[in-house]
Amino acid sequence: MSCLSTCRIEFILATSQPYLYYKCRYINSLWGCMMLFRYISIVIAVCLVLSCGGQKESNLVFTVGGAPAEIDFWEELADEFTAETGIKITVNRQPTDTDQRRQGLVVALKAESSDPDIFLMDVAWVAQMAASGWLLDLEQFGSDGSFSLEPFYRNVIELADRYNNKLIALPVYVDGGLLYYRADLLDRFGYDDPPRTWQELIEQAVRIQAEMQDERADFYGYIWQGAQYEGLICNFLEVAVSGGGGIVNQSGEIEINTEANLEALRMMRAMIADYEISPPNTYTEFTEEEVRVLFQQGKALFERNWPYAYKLHRAENSAVRDKFAIASLPHFEGGRSVATLGGWHIGISRFCDLPDQALEFVRFVTSYETQKKLALNLGWNPGRRDVYDDHEVLNQLPHFAQLQEIFENAYPRPTLPYYTQVSEVMQRYLNSALAGEMTPRDALRKADEEIETIVSRYSQ
Amino acid sequence: MLTVYRHNNLSGYIFLLPLFLFMAGFVLVPVVGTLLNSFYKDVPFLQSEFNGLDNYRSLGGDSSFWQSLRFSLLFVMAAVPLELLLGMVFALVLHKATNSKALLWAAVLIPWAIPSAVSARIWELIYNYNYGLANFVLTKFGLTTEPINWLGGSFSAFWAVTVADVWKTTPFVAIIILAGLQAVPDDFHESAKIDGAGFIRRFFSLTLPLLKPVIVVALLFRTIDSLRVFDVIYVLTGGGPGGATSALSLYGYEYYLIGDFGYASTISVVLFVIAMALSILYVRFSRFERE
Repeated sequence: MSCLSTCRIEFILATSQPYLYYKCRYINSLWGCMMLFRYISIVIAVCLVLSCGGQKESNLVFTVGGAPAEIDFWEELADEFTAETGIKITVNRQPTDTDQRRQGLVVALKAESSDPDIFLMDVAWVAQMAASGWLLDLEQFGSDGSFSLEPFYRNVIELADRYNNKLIALPVYVDGGLLYYRADLLDRFGYDDPPRTWQELIEQAVRIQAEMQDERADFYGYIWQGAQYEGLICNFLEVAVSGGGGIVNQSGEIEINTEANLEALRMMRAMIADYEISPPNTYTEFTEEEVRVLFQQGKALFERNWPYAYKLHRAENSAVRDKFAIASLPHFEGGRSVATLGGWHIGISRFCDLPDQALEFVRFVTSYETQKKLALNLGWNPGRRDVYDDHEVLNQLPHFAQLQEIFENAYPRPTLPYYTQVSEVMQRYLNSALAGEMTPRDALRKADEEIETIVSRYSQ
Repeated sequence: MLTVYRHNNLSGYIFLLPLFLFMAGFVLVPVVGTLLNSFYKDVPFLQSEFNGLDNYRSLGGDSSFWQSLRFSLLFVMAAVPLELLLGMVFALVLHKATNSKALLWAAVLIPWAIPSAVSARIWELIYNYNYGLANFVLTKFGLTTEPINWLGGSFSAFWAVTVADVWKTTPFVAIIILAGLQAVPDDFHESAKIDGAGFIRRFFSLTLPLLKPVIVVALLFRTIDSLRVFDVIYVLTGGGPGGATSALSLYGYEYYLIGDFGYASTISVVLFVIAMALSILYVRFSRFERE
């Protein structure tokens, strides 16, 4: 639609140009340049569109995004795979941003394109892709027992990779929220252990922050992801479920507006507004990287983040290199620690033109050797449990011993095909409550109402 | 006589044909496609089915949609007048400037030459709570003790986005108005001066009326553009806090992202209709069509 108005403008611009042209000698060269530039860009766009429908040969295509270094490593792995099996495979690079990665896949799959054949999916969209009928059942071809699911995390396979009793994906990378804490500071102020409950975390954070702020004004007690994006939902679930709340109630229906959730949201808001242990830009700017960098500069006592931050906190240039440790996130009194299950899963497109070769690649990626390489080179947490006991891996990544236990109890987001729609609404209202734009009670009530319409619109 | 005229007409159409085909292929088809799509329930994991005006009905009861619509309209009302005012000032200065013209030109044009996403990133670094330039300057000079969370409240986020957009697009208005100023012959002003009209008087009775068509063009472009604003907000606030700066285009994009193509199309159609209506209004009221 925007295209039409742009073209209308383009047209007006082009037609009004002569008028301006002969009136002002002064600017005409500029207008001319501008017009030329616009037309050139249109021509380029046309060429791009036409070139999309070009060459077509049968070739495995693996679509993967992420940090440039990660994609480079995938390309190395692909070459290895070709050397091993003789099957050619092209790596199709995607951006880093998760939303953009999904969008790229959805457009190709909706068009029933034969490429990509294989791709990585965020655990939060596996259900949607499965429900759309876009994923092959990995067990439907190949001989019996083609996959031994033994080495994988059972809970992850059952909760994320099975849809209607079909195995439609396998975990390549498992993720869960952790508490990073400054062991040196806790020591200095006489605390032996990291906080077990949220109350303890708040007490320690308030006290140590007050002491530390004499030294540096920008020191904060607890930093976490509160910006309006999927990460906020992960953070919220970790707090809410640890006090008996959550998104799905006993009867399997989505229900947000509960007392436990209200308590969780109130506490999160209080961390920012009352205790002031989390900065006000928590709800505007704090995504994983913002939080990681602050902690790494030594500006925070506690940090909630994914395991990827561990390797970076240990890097040469980190101010907290040997001063921090990890633990399970705190919980409410009487509850239990929760880590939201995150991570990336590999699946095969239903429109894939070479399913047998694609399956070979999936097998290769989820093999012990490849998963070990991913751990050692990228610091990824493998989807296979057995890699966590590998000596070489444990030597380089000693925290894997702790991670294993955390992943055993990871809490999944609901496997609904319309989960992303639900998430969008929750993000908006939770973020509003954190910003103090509405009360936690109102936010949950309105979110519930809006989610009800979503459920009625999207459930069959 | 008549045959020549007709022949001219025909050849004119022939010359226009490639453009028309181009527009049909790249504009008409997507627009009509979007319109048709807005009557469907088009979600990947459900059966695609025709549902008439259902999408429009749900839009009516969708409070987030109304919030976005409100934001978009307010944004137009805030940004466009500011851009016009500043653009006018810049244009007059540039028009009058005799020396250091190149420098002024550069200063005015740079914001417009920078891609929107990049300039939004620059503003993000200005507004950033921890290490942003704005807070650095304010705390450095002791104007505030606490840093200000610019993008944290719906009011301040609104103005933060508006300022970023005004900064970026004012030069465009300035150029168009300057073009109009250059087109006013000097002897008009000379004779007005002889008649004893002062600068203010000349501006209001002479320059402004003569500039009217040019101002309307600027107004039209800027209104449509700021109605469709996307990149600045996407980069700066992502629609936050809590959807307070979610423009209509962003809201539509959100649905496109989560795979509800029917609803996303519906939002696009609404945006399109509003943009069209405003354009028609402008053109009508300004009698832009040569009578």
